[in-house]
Amino acid sequence: MKDAELAALAQAGDRDAFGELVRRHAAQARRVARAILGDPDEADDAAQDGFLAALRHLGRYDPARPFGPWLLRIVANAASDRQRRRKVRRAEPLSPRMHDAEPGPDTVTDRSSFRQAVLAALERLPERQRIATVLFDVEGYSHKEISEVLGVPIGTVRSDVFHARRTLRTELDAWKDWRESE
Amino acid sequence: MSDTSPFDHRPDPELGRALEDALSAPDDERFARQVMAAADSVFGAGGSDSWWQELTAWARPGLVAAMLLIAAGAFWIGSQMGQRGNGSGTGALGDPLSAADSEQLGVPVLLAGGEAPSVDAVMAVAFEY
Repeated sequence: MKDAELAALAQAGDRDAFGELVRRHAAQARRVARAILGDPDEADDAAQDGFLAALRHLGRYDPARPFGPWLLRIVANAASDRQRRRKVRRAEPLSPRMHDAEPGPDTVTDRSSFRQAVLAALERLPERQRIATVLFDVEGYSHKEISEVLGVPIGTVRSDVFHARRTLRTELDAWKDWRESE
Repeated sequence: MSDTSPFDHRPDPELGRALEDALSAPDDERFARQVMAAADSVFGAGGSDSWWQELTAWARPGLVAAMLLIAAGAFWIGSQMGQRGNGSGTGALGDPLSAADSEQLGVPVLLAGGEAPSVDAVMAVAFEY
């Protein structure tokens, strides 16, 4: 069954239909939220907020358009809101960045450390670039779909993906064996 | 990875795998169960987009439509009055005194009087228009 059909059923009160939508899009939504927030628990809370907001406003979903970008836009907004609130709550400056304490690439080979390096590199990107490159390189969304998620022109998405990739590649190329570890 | 141009319009599988591996959290099923548990309160509350939410969503366009309707009505009434005034040959507003003489009531007559008009007079003018 297509997402749009499930969305129509969910709007009519079909709990199972909404459950199927959640299962289909859970992984994507969690990744996008984590790309914005970093912390996995907060990301899950934001993703859940996004799903519930989407459920409440299913009437505004246009079934002629793909469901994924519509949902991810809501999730990204929920995560961004949390990020803003978190920044306001923080009275002290941000903790030192992870990469300052990272061991050199030659001394670390395990996947866990590489994963931390990827997250740290991602954290240093502006939020919109983070979302754009995750949606493009991980989730396989087109520039046009990403422009709908982010609410920016396609050209801006191309630029964001370009800058994000360039930064990530520069930082991750220092890890000599990261490609082999994949 | 560095052998792929950042301008490339295709997804970069290596970068994609690295990001996916770093960002993916375990146990999507458990997460889905948590979401559904929270969603039960929404379903219990009458599902999505209850009638008052729909009403709220329509409030602003409804107000705009009402204002446009009022403006159009005022314009129409104004143009009707202008035509009547032109027909009597006494200018746009007409001559309130001559109107009074002919026992024909109108808005200018009501406004020209020194005292507040009676309810009957106001009703008569309203029905006339």
